[in-house]
Amino acid sequence: MSGPRVAAAVLAKDLLLDLRSKDRLGHMAVFAALVVVLLSISLPSGTPATRVWIPTLIWVVFLFTSLLGLGRSFQAESEHGAIALLVQAPCDRGWVFLGKAGANLLALLGVEVWTAILCTVFLDIVWAPALPEILGIGLLGAVGLAAVGTLLSAMASSARFREFLLPVLLFPLVLPVLVLASRMTAAALGGDAIPVGWWGWLALYDWVFVLISYFVFEYVLED
Amino acid sequence: MEERIIRSARVLAPLSVVAVLVWLGMVVFVAPPERVQGVVQKILYVHVPCVLPAYLGFILTALGGLGFLLTRREQWDRLAHSGAEVGVVFCSLILLTGPIWAKPVWGHWWVWDLRLTSTLVLWFMYVAYLFLRAFVIGSDPARTLASVYGIVGTAAIPFVYYAVDLARGSTLHPSNPAREGLPGSMAATWIAGTLALLLVFAYLVARRLEIARLEAEALEHAVREPGI
Repeated sequence: MSGPRVAAAVLAKDLLLDLRSKDRLGHMAVFAALVVVLLSISLPSGTPATRVWIPTLIWVVFLFTSLLGLGRSFQAESEHGAIALLVQAPCDRGWVFLGKAGANLLALLGVEVWTAILCTVFLDIVWAPALPEILGIGLLGAVGLAAVGTLLSAMASSARFREFLLPVLLFPLVLPVLVLASRMTAAALGGDAIPVGWWGWLALYDWVFVLISYFVFEYVLED
Repeated sequence: MEERIIRSARVLAPLSVVAVLVWLGMVVFVAPPERVQGVVQKILYVHVPCVLPAYLGFILTALGGLGFLLTRREQWDRLAHSGAEVGVVFCSLILLTGPIWAKPVWGHWWVWDLRLTSTLVLWFMYVAYLFLRAFVIGSDPARTLASVYGIVGTAAIPFVYYAVDLARGSTLHPSNPAREGLPGSMAATWIAGTLALLLVFAYLVARRLEIARLEAEALEHAVREPGI
């Protein structure tokens, strides 16, 4: 079986599991809804300060919600001793990473769309005038988060206190995604041009961490 | 290599003591009180010299991790672990002494300044590295996963620096104290501090390596002869 076919098989398996059990996606959806409702109730409405803070808050909501899903990315394999089977995949183990990260990316994109709808309803955010930019930022942010999150989730999956360990490992590493994506979202929503350098750094982050994760996943999976 | 580093502790110990005594003597008796900041400025003679050892510790972590993944020799992992622990100690000293100086001079304990924030994120990253080592079950997986995190963390540093720069703008830190026409006694105290703390750093790494090797030997002995 070639590498891309292994990646596609892992991705399809994870998607099927997500769609059948609905646990992971359902929990993320409810959590995101709760946090956005809490924010909309507690934030003073319509003040300029609130407008400035909202893009960052949206990305924080997305980051925390993602953590719920990423933390369970390897749960099924851990619980059923199936990691040993993934190790035996007849290809470079980086392809297994790409499959898992691809499934996480699709789940995170789903969460982003859901969070965007919630923000439209509860926080009066109008996305339409900057839709192409918002789609680009959402995709680049989700790719970075899915790459780093998938790798760290695999690393934390067999550890003690993994619910504590994953955010402790993840948050310092994804700080650049949070800062860049929230700044870019603020610029897009405010009708300002997004500097090319910001796009470049976010894309470079994605490229670097997908590449590094692809190569080091070999070591992560063997242990 | 490991043996040589461990043996160097015998020489490094007296050298470190002498260097630290000379440095502290210079801080108290040689460096004059700064005209505007007064005596509180003397904290910087501790704060600034901690920077180089902290970063060296993290470089050792990345190099040791890479060496371990490529060669699978445990001594590389011990070097990485020792570098991270000692690096975190010096990084903590930077983060503790900074606010003590900042409160009377800047008027705030904490300012979201570029260097301060980057150092804090770096500290979080390496504390996470130590947590990972502690919580992963089994010493072999802990070594491998920690090595991976050390490498991934190092790759993130330029991005963190850029992001903090973007978020927080320019730094409040002086650009380079040595370039600002300091009196010779002040510059000499800074240099003495940096040399002294580099010696202390090398000594601590050597002793931590020795402890790590003794732990590994004890574990090996316990596995070979479980009854004893």
